[in-house]
Amino acid sequence: MAICSRRKFLKIVAAGIGSAAALRFFSRAGIAQAVRSSNGRKRRTITADHDLVAVKGSDPAAMTRAAVKALGGMAKFVPRGSTVVVKPNIGWDRSPETGANTNPDVVAALVEMCYEAGAKRVNVFDNTCNTAQRCYETSGIRRLAESKGARVYHTDAWNFVRAQFPYESPMEGWPVFRDAIECDTFINVPVLKHHGLTGLTLGMKNLMGVCGGSRGQIHFNIGRKLVDMADFIKPELTVIDGFRYLARNGPTGGNLADVLALGTVIASPDITLADVYAARLVGRDPNSIPYIANAIERGLGSPYYAGKDVVELSV
Amino acid sequence: MKKLVVAKRASQAVFLSMFVYILWSTTYPLTGPVSPQLLFKADPLLVLATAVSERAAVPGIAWALAMCFLTLVAGRFFCGWMCPLGSLIDMAGAEKKDRPLSDKRNRRLRRVKYWLLACILAAAGAGIQLAWLFDPVVIFGRFVSLNLIPAITFAFDAAFSSLIRGFHLYGPVYDLYRYLKTTILGVQVRYVAHAAAVFAYILSIVIAADLLKRSWCRICCPLGALYGLIGRFTLLERSVDRCSHCGNCSSSCRMGAITKDAGYVKSECILCMDCVYDCPSKGTRFGFPLGPEAGEIGGSSVNRRQFLALGLLSLPSLLGFRVAYPGRPGSQRRRVIRPPAALEEEEFLNRCVRCGNCMKVCVTNGLQPAFLESGIGGIWTPHLVPEIGYCEYHCTLCGSVCPTGAIPRLTEEQKLKTRLGIARIDRSLCLPWIKKQECLVCEEHCPIASKAIQLRPTTVNGKALLRPYINERLCIGCGICQTKCPVRPDRAIKIYPVRVTRGIKKRQKP
Repeated sequence: MAICSRRKFLKIVAAGIGSAAALRFFSRAGIAQAVRSSNGRKRRTITADHDLVAVKGSDPAAMTRAAVKALGGMAKFVPRGSTVVVKPNIGWDRSPETGANTNPDVVAALVEMCYEAGAKRVNVFDNTCNTAQRCYETSGIRRLAESKGARVYHTDAWNFVRAQFPYESPMEGWPVFRDAIECDTFINVPVLKHHGLTGLTLGMKNLMGVCGGSRGQIHFNIGRKLVDMADFIKPELTVIDGFRYLARNGPTGGNLADVLALGTVIASPDITLADVYAARLVGRDPNSIPYIANAIERGLGSPYYAGKDVVELSV
Repeated sequence: MKKLVVAKRASQAVFLSMFVYILWSTTYPLTGPVSPQLLFKADPLLVLATAVSERAAVPGIAWALAMCFLTLVAGRFFCGWMCPLGSLIDMAGAEKKDRPLSDKRNRRLRRVKYWLLACILAAAGAGIQLAWLFDPVVIFGRFVSLNLIPAITFAFDAAFSSLIRGFHLYGPVYDLYRYLKTTILGVQVRYVAHAAAVFAYILSIVIAADLLKRSWCRICCPLGALYGLIGRFTLLERSVDRCSHCGNCSSSCRMGAITKDAGYVKSECILCMDCVYDCPSKGTRFGFPLGPEAGEIGGSSVNRRQFLALGLLSLPSLLGFRVAYPGRPGSQRRRVIRPPAALEEEEFLNRCVRCGNCMKVCVTNGLQPAFLESGIGGIWTPHLVPEIGYCEYHCTLCGSVCPTGAIPRLTEEQKLKTRLGIARIDRSLCLPWIKKQECLVCEEHCPIASKAIQLRPTTVNGKALLRPYINERLCIGCGICQTKCPVRPDRAIKIYPVRVTRGIKKRQKP
């Protein structure tokens, strides 16, 4: 009794080879890493009412609103019908009280203001360090930002493009999330917290969240690399969430005793100035933070903010 | 219209899609309507083998008992109407016309599975659980979790991403893709180590079914054998009136359960209902006969004496398994990182049915099926591969989907104290140590609130430099440092499974 005819055997073999070939085709098409490159964003010209606004208070949403309003309102940054990226720090699977992620109220307030100013679409994302789904949920950012109408989504591994610089840069060719570049306005919303290597996580450090690849390698010569990244993204507005300040064991934290109530939100169109102000606010020498030091060295700011139009409010 | 056959096919389709759906929804945040544990708890072979080898009642044993009771009433409806592997096998070989085997050959073939069942039970008696290798529910579950779902998500992801990139469809198509991804497709495309081995196993079963209808069920399936032993006493019976001895039923029976004289082996019948419609005199029917005279039973599959003899025959096989399993001095050489609070190694291997639930649900994709990493006895058991993914600090999903308690269900509080191993830095690879470069990615990611990786400042060539040190008292071996370490190809920090928390300590209970 022939249990398997020749025809059947050939069919089975052909099916096997066919599916292997299909798998190979798909894996090549899909897994292919970033192939396109980008020269970075063109920044809109911003004429804000002040260089920097810092607001003290006890309601993060109201403080955020007051800060942006004092700068001249969101309409200064977000033209009608534009696509906006609000890029908070959602790096960690930590609840808002631990101060490891950007305060969800700050993010939600910004999203709301963007829509009030006539934005067509507000995207919220971060390339997380812990599992993305857990970070988005635990931080509270997905729920709150979506309730204000934002599109909150994950950074798909295949949607990165390679960064190109007009000058020699250690970040040349680094993969950057495409949606961070393809937008009309980029609002950078870091949380102010301790970081083992750089001392503090601030505006420029937050831009690591649009980078892909093996991000650990950014840590070597980190100051230079982050300043180049800031120049590549050129955020129109930086809003530093200093409502809670994780003062030790950052950037992850987890111990509530390490979290101080700072009650400040800082907004500025100038990312270096925002970082300098925030560093001074928590008593750190801006020159001790590698990326601020590098920015100062390259003439992008000064370690002091005297002489700048800085407004301090409370609500 | 073959009403009963249509009903059977519908039932198979429903249970098959339910099976896949339940495993599909076995993912963070685990909001599916049915716990994936249930699929395996309702399997009496798994429950019996685990309970015997562990000498303990497995939690949720009631489901398996209920299935046995139903089989006593209605026969092997599970095999014909529910079993997902059976449905797949039917799909592969349904249209076939086999040349019928002789009664004698059928009898010999069907005996193999009783021998396998005897082997499994004898091994369980000796404290080794082998049901995982032959149980059809587990074979299919493993295939769905480790092959089918990863392949489908991968194919969807590849198709969408090449479409979006190739045709520049970053508008609504990209939005649709994102929506599907966060709702039904799952966010990650998952990698499964040794997936080919899992696939090859089920593929050979399907190919065999294409050569001989239901060949796996007739010859090998020990769960079928267990149901068959119960099925001898089942109340539902087949009866034939006005038999014209045409032989149609006998030659088309997919289980080879019908003898040439149109009698049938009750314990082999899976109620596929083909013979009801194949009968030209329309005299075949299934029903509950009243009184002892009803029913025409042509020979049973195995009698008690034969089953005992098969049991004796199975004993020598234990020697081989004994060698493969750990538990003897000197067998601790091959150590892998087990899921959080997994039981002591030998107990773990006995409890683990290799269903793949934990590996399916793992949020970081770090839980992978072992191949020979933990010995022959540890094939397809879960172990953490930090190069792929770490153990997420606050996540307790693997313990909550394990059907047999090989990975205990942990509260979040217990999980935070559960140690999988301890990290050690290889100073001949670590950048701040050997190359005097800034790095500290491991310290940054360490989830312990007061940092199990600590930085100490030094001065090298007049330059300040921070170097990482492990605090072994705090480290729980979650492995995120190893996952994120930028050094390649070997990571400069690695988890070693030492001082591991095994099981839940009594005093830890809430």
